[in-house]
Amino acid sequence: MDLHSYPHGEHGRFEQIFNQFLLKSLHIILDSRVPMNRPPSRGGEIRKSDRWFNLVLGDRPAAMDSLSFWNRSLMEPMVIDIILVQESSYSLSEHDSRSTLATEMPAETVIERWVVQYEHQRSMAPQIGDAFYKKTYKKSIILLRSVYSMLRLLPAYKAFRKQQSFKQNCGFEINYKICSFGSPLLRSEEESMKNYSFIPIDAQQGRLSVSVMYRKDLSDFNLDSCVSHPIEIISDYVGSPLTDPMRAFPCTSSEKGHSISFQTRGRQSAPPSPFQRPHSWSSGLQRELSSQQSQPYSASPPLYRSPYEYSSSPTEAYIQRNQNQRFTANQKAPCDEILSPPFSSSPSPSPPTKSVIPFHNRRHPETAPMSIPHPMIARSPRYLSPNLSDPNRNSLPPLSPRNTKYDSSSHESPSGIRSIRRLDSTRTGEMSNTPTNAGPKLSRDSKEDSGRFSSLLSSSSSPRVGLSRTSSRLSFQDDFGDCDCPFIVDDVDPPDNQTSSNLGARNCSEVSSLAPSTMKKSQDAAVGALVHMLKTAPPLRQESCYYNTQSSKTEFEGEVGAASEFFKPRKASDAFEELKVYRQMKDLLLSKSSAHLVSKEKTEF
Amino acid sequence: MNCEVCQLKELDVEHFEIREVLRCILHTILFHRALGLVRPKDIDLELFEITYVQCGDVELERKIDEKIDQFLDRVEKHPNKKNQICLSFYEVKNKQPTWFTNKVERLYWEQWYINLNVAQHQKGHSGKSTSSKIVVDPEAEERTVRRAALEASLRDVLFQIIRFVNEKKDHIPPIPNLEGVSFPYEITISRFCIWNGNVQEDAPNRASYDAQLTSE
Repeated sequence: MDLHSYPHGEHGRFEQIFNQFLLKSLHIILDSRVPMNRPPSRGGEIRKSDRWFNLVLGDRPAAMDSLSFWNRSLMEPMVIDIILVQESSYSLSEHDSRSTLATEMPAETVIERWVVQYEHQRSMAPQIGDAFYKKTYKKSIILLRSVYSMLRLLPAYKAFRKQQSFKQNCGFEINYKICSFGSPLLRSEEESMKNYSFIPIDAQQGRLSVSVMYRKDLSDFNLDSCVSHPIEIISDYVGSPLTDPMRAFPCTSSEKGHSISFQTRGRQSAPPSPFQRPHSWSSGLQRELSSQQSQPYSASPPLYRSPYEYSSSPTEAYIQRNQNQRFTANQKAPCDEILSPPFSSSPSPSPPTKSVIPFHNRRHPETAPMSIPHPMIARSPRYLSPNLSDPNRNSLPPLSPRNTKYDSSSHESPSGIRSIRRLDSTRTGEMSNTPTNAGPKLSRDSKEDSGRFSSLLSSSSSPRVGLSRTSSRLSFQDDFGDCDCPFIVDDVDPPDNQTSSNLGARNCSEVSSLAPSTMKKSQDAAVGALVHMLKTAPPLRQESCYYNTQSSKTEFEGEVGAASEFFKPRKASDAFEELKVYRQMKDLLLSKSSAHLVSKEKTEF
Repeated sequence: MNCEVCQLKELDVEHFEIREVLRCILHTILFHRALGLVRPKDIDLELFEITYVQCGDVELERKIDEKIDQFLDRVEKHPNKKNQICLSFYEVKNKQPTWFTNKVERLYWEQWYINLNVAQHQKGHSGKSTSSKIVVDPEAEERTVRRAALEASLRDVLFQIIRFVNEKKDHIPPIPNLEGVSFPYEITISRFCIWNGNVQEDAPNRASYDAQLTSE
């Protein structure tokens, strides 16, 4: 084509339309044939490059960054081969003959061949003018819509969907090859393929055409033998969305710009692929992503090893799939005119600005797998045998994750923690300044728990700390700042004891009935049970077994009446009264268990 | 300006398949005529292994569903064997008001006729026969065969739409609206069927009428 015979501006516009047409058609074809992990759509934000031909497709595949060489010549067609790769043993002989690499090769079959080209016609009078290019642009829009629809009607779409659903379990792969000429097909392949040519669009001095050669029937490839995703046990299961609502889950492909709704079919059901499961972000997907990140230009396994080369000559180009680089085009905003292409400011088409954005997990905003800390198990050894000889040791009782954050911090802490720290410091002889009432009765052994317990009971100094279930928990949230654990696991009790006051009462009874040799342990357990009761059991709980303790029955009797008074609308004074009751109960338990320890504590204080 | 007419291939459908079939065809046509900025949405049919494309316009989906509901009501009230839906695109020409009329003129530039042959028996609606079990199996097999044939025919219809859209482009007028469906359109349901320009052979003898249900 003689590029100098036409007004520079007109030709530049047409070239830009043609270039964008190539890119758009390639984008459509790759989106519909090759499963690729792409970032989710950005909602209402539409990039300028995506406005071309009024078809919003979302981010382009990374492979399209390498297409700038097509800008150099309009004469070179773009041939896109969709290749079905199977590793089954039944491979046909004619497929083996096509392999160019040694030894074992998976069977490759071209199931579709798309050709997008500009057919130059010298005999055709050059068409110029605004009206003409707008008409060309309008027809291009319709043509691309047709291509988009056609891609979903051809047999290869089914294979694409299967691979998209079943990933590695489908027994085949779909690869693609983009080059400027089509490699010759075998006779048998040609016979099994059908040709369809879209009506060309008249361009400046030629025609813009799209054609497809597709395999009519893919039943020979036994694509229906896909194995549904085997049931596997997630060993690093980190919880359900209900337990951790703050955790983001990977976005699935159904959230792309051109959203694909996978409705339940009558005949087949596609089980969700692993990346769609909210708890499997630790397996498979991140490994896949990391491998892609580390090899941005590595060859496309298992077939082609040569990287893509920029060349103006019609050479065969192999583009690796699953590249994760974003394509950005430097283009002007769409014109105000209706149905005008969003041309760039420069009349001559310039290659789009290629910005390689290193891949990261931005499109799968899942967090690294973490295990829910289990305070009970993790801290139980320390809990059972506190090191009393180490005053600097963190003597706080095993706390929930919310509380542990502040255990070793040296900066100013909320009042609840402040009381705990001061209790620790009193161990070493320092004077306590907190107006806490729990001092003299605390045993050293139960210091860890009592420190925490006293934080709860020091309501006189910390009005925030209440005894109703919700208020106490809220106060803890206030005290322990921005820890975002959605639940507080009582570290001294098994999780299943949280809501059972029966078990709490039983713990109390157990404490009182333990032999002196295990007295320390039972003290802690008892205190922990009380703490648990404070936190979970609402004051309105009037279960009879709450008072059904062996040796503390008489002591609790006095509390029955007091407790029953709380079975009515609560006030702060009621809560305070209840707090006193609980405090007395705690004191009773502690005094019962070890008299000599208490006296020792008294001397220390 | 010529009005291009496309008579789509006749489809034999059962009552419970009408909705899916009509949605598929209407949305496919409108996707090719909504030349404004669209974010295509792939929709998988539940009854067939076919994926069609919607414009992603919620308002359009609502209107189409409304029309389909009207069509279904009509089919139930008038169980005519053959039914036809016409999707027309037109231009609005402001006609000078005269003594007799103050209407705006519509110039139709494209019409699509969707021809459905609705099965008379309603047993297929629930998907299961209410008769005895002895009859179920052969009917189920027959239904499967018929379903496969309908899927192939529906796929042919979609190919037909794509071919027509590609072949006829010059008659498309300037686009008045870039949002949603670019051109004004209407969907009409006709009871008296015209096949290939000829009166239907089994049409009733009495005078027929067309129910004009406009989309605007």
